[in-house]
Amino acid sequence: MKVLVTGAGGFLGVHVVERLLAHGYCDLRCFLRDPSREDALRRIQEKSAAKIEFVYGNLRSRNDCARAVQDVSLVVHLAAGLKGSPAELFADSVISSRNLLEALEARSAPPIQDTRVVLVSSFGVYGVVPLGRRARVNEETPLEAHPELRDPYSFTKLRQEQLIREHSQRAGFELVVLRPGVIYGPGGGAMSNRVGLQIGPIFAHLGGTNRLPLSYVQNCAEAIVVAGTHPHAAGQVYNVHDDDLPTASSYLHQYKKQVRRIRSVRIPYWLALQMASMLESYHRWSKGQLPAVLTRYKVAAAWAGNVFDNSKLHGLGWRPLVSTPDGLAETFRSLRGSDAKR
Amino acid sequence: MSLKIAIIGCGKIADAHVEEIRKIPSASLVAVCDLEPIMAEQLATRFAVPLWYNDFARMLDEQKPDVVHITTPPDSHLALVRQALAAGCHVFLEKPVAPRAAEVRAILDASSSANRQLTVNYWPNFEVHAIALRQLIASGELGEIVHLESYYGYDLAGEYGMALRRDPNHWVHRLPGKLFQNVLDHMLNKIVPYLADDDPILDAVAYCGAPLAERLQTNPLLDELRIVLQGANSSAYATFSAHARPIGHRLRVYGTRNTATADFQLRTVTMDRKQTFPSALGRLAPPFLLAKDSLRQGIRNMNHFAHARFHYFHGMHHLLAEFYTGIETNAPPPIPYGEILRVATWMDRIFQQVYPEVPA
Repeated sequence: MKVLVTGAGGFLGVHVVERLLAHGYCDLRCFLRDPSREDALRRIQEKSAAKIEFVYGNLRSRNDCARAVQDVSLVVHLAAGLKGSPAELFADSVISSRNLLEALEARSAPPIQDTRVVLVSSFGVYGVVPLGRRARVNEETPLEAHPELRDPYSFTKLRQEQLIREHSQRAGFELVVLRPGVIYGPGGGAMSNRVGLQIGPIFAHLGGTNRLPLSYVQNCAEAIVVAGTHPHAAGQVYNVHDDDLPTASSYLHQYKKQVRRIRSVRIPYWLALQMASMLESYHRWSKGQLPAVLTRYKVAAAWAGNVFDNSKLHGLGWRPLVSTPDGLAETFRSLRGSDAKR
Repeated sequence: MSLKIAIIGCGKIADAHVEEIRKIPSASLVAVCDLEPIMAEQLATRFAVPLWYNDFARMLDEQKPDVVHITTPPDSHLALVRQALAAGCHVFLEKPVAPRAAEVRAILDASSSANRQLTVNYWPNFEVHAIALRQLIASGELGEIVHLESYYGYDLAGEYGMALRRDPNHWVHRLPGKLFQNVLDHMLNKIVPYLADDDPILDAVAYCGAPLAERLQTNPLLDELRIVLQGANSSAYATFSAHARPIGHRLRVYGTRNTATADFQLRTVTMDRKQTFPSALGRLAPPFLLAKDSLRQGIRNMNHFAHARFHYFHGMHHLLAEFYTGIETNAPPPIPYGEILRVATWMDRIFQQVYPEVPA
């Protein structure tokens, strides 16, 4: 079975390729936008007898998508917009996904009904605001009803998921959706927004005692491969995060201790709501002179302390490959080399 | 009665147009359009625009807008302008106006023939400090203009730079002047009013300023450009740099009496002061006078901020207000067509020198 991995050169993509090989999938096509990102994949290829094909292109190009999907039966769709303007994010995630699916549906073989698409979505698609503080979020939790009130990334991921679901229902391919929390590990970012926001020289620590839904990059990749290839996973959605999760404040404390000192200010939830309310009023009055980076809706979506549930993923037989203490230690060791030099 | 506005092209710059249109009380944004329906939908959803289309003709027919903002890639502008003018609309056009000067001329001629107004989004020139500099020049404070220096810094790692670096099919790569063409309007349109020659001496050189390792690894763009212009009575330099830091955006005007600098990042206008006392004593005062200038400008900017007139695209707000008012009162458009055409003609000549392999 030929497997296509989009976004294969990315932070998560390299680990997904590694886990696919570990699970015995040896005919892989890695789709990359940036040829300079292939080095890590080449090293993996050298260590295995697997057939890894590299295809370079941009999923915004229909021709590139047509080249990518030839003969593949499993598509692990990781590529998504992470940075840039809202329109760029949207085009990189939604237009790209539309092009990829239309290319899949247009090719002659294998039949579309024998094809499976594994989408890596996000916790950002859940409509958590009406649930209130500390609410439990599982795969049955309704999706966001007001994406326009959320950050551009969540807005985009929600539309991407909806679009792929519509295509799946219309064209008949199997769809498995994974919704990871905060993917972390060596080579990734240090601070998720769920811990707080860097505002000038000060880190505004907003996460407090909320459990951080961390997913170590190898564990996340393992979840994608386990669920993405499991016969009973067709049509299912899975939350992805690790076990034994730290709180945001404990994460920040360990970061300061093990990586570098940063100046932080703890902002409790009630105060964050007050500040957001003031910023919203100012934003409205000044007609956008300062961006509404914080709104009451965004605060409630990010820092209300939702507890995510990964029991459905465990039910498939997934187990973390790396424990949270080991994952954090490895990540902080790597960050010491990069962040500490700042 | 409010003007009905529509937008075609729902890429990243469209956000700024929506935000600025909505600040003008006499205008009402009725619909947005993009060939990609999902792009039109996302813009309409994020900004609560009542309607979205993926068929321009249908939008024009059903909504009958008074003004169309065209924010699509420049190679589509001529056809879209003609379509909008034929539907009786005035046109607000995003820069670059068109890939070549011949198309720019066709666009301007079409607007004149249709008796509809057209202007281009030269928004930095409508910032408060840019208007102040124009007034300073008009007042004769600088004397006759001898020379101008227009500087534009660019961040290839920024939102706009990354968009075109990541995508080899980005429309910027199709332009005859590639990366330079997307920003040269902003450099040359500041010089054009004061270098009135249609055919000045013009020399341009360009090179790639990226480190050698990066140049070997990829096929990078030319990203450093120097231009020298010599007219009958004045001259100009224009500099584009993607590597100099901090990223600047300035116009320096050298007059026979005084020299002034408009900083488009800091939104200030400062004057160079001459020595009024001789010798070492004379060199003591000017830095304090310059500091006084800066302090005054800083206080003025704080005043603008306090009155919510310090938005990133505040110049676009001014330009739009002037353009819309001109439509309602039948006043001339805010930017003379001759200046728009001269910018395009100079750009053609620059790209012939910098990219000689691209067919004219």
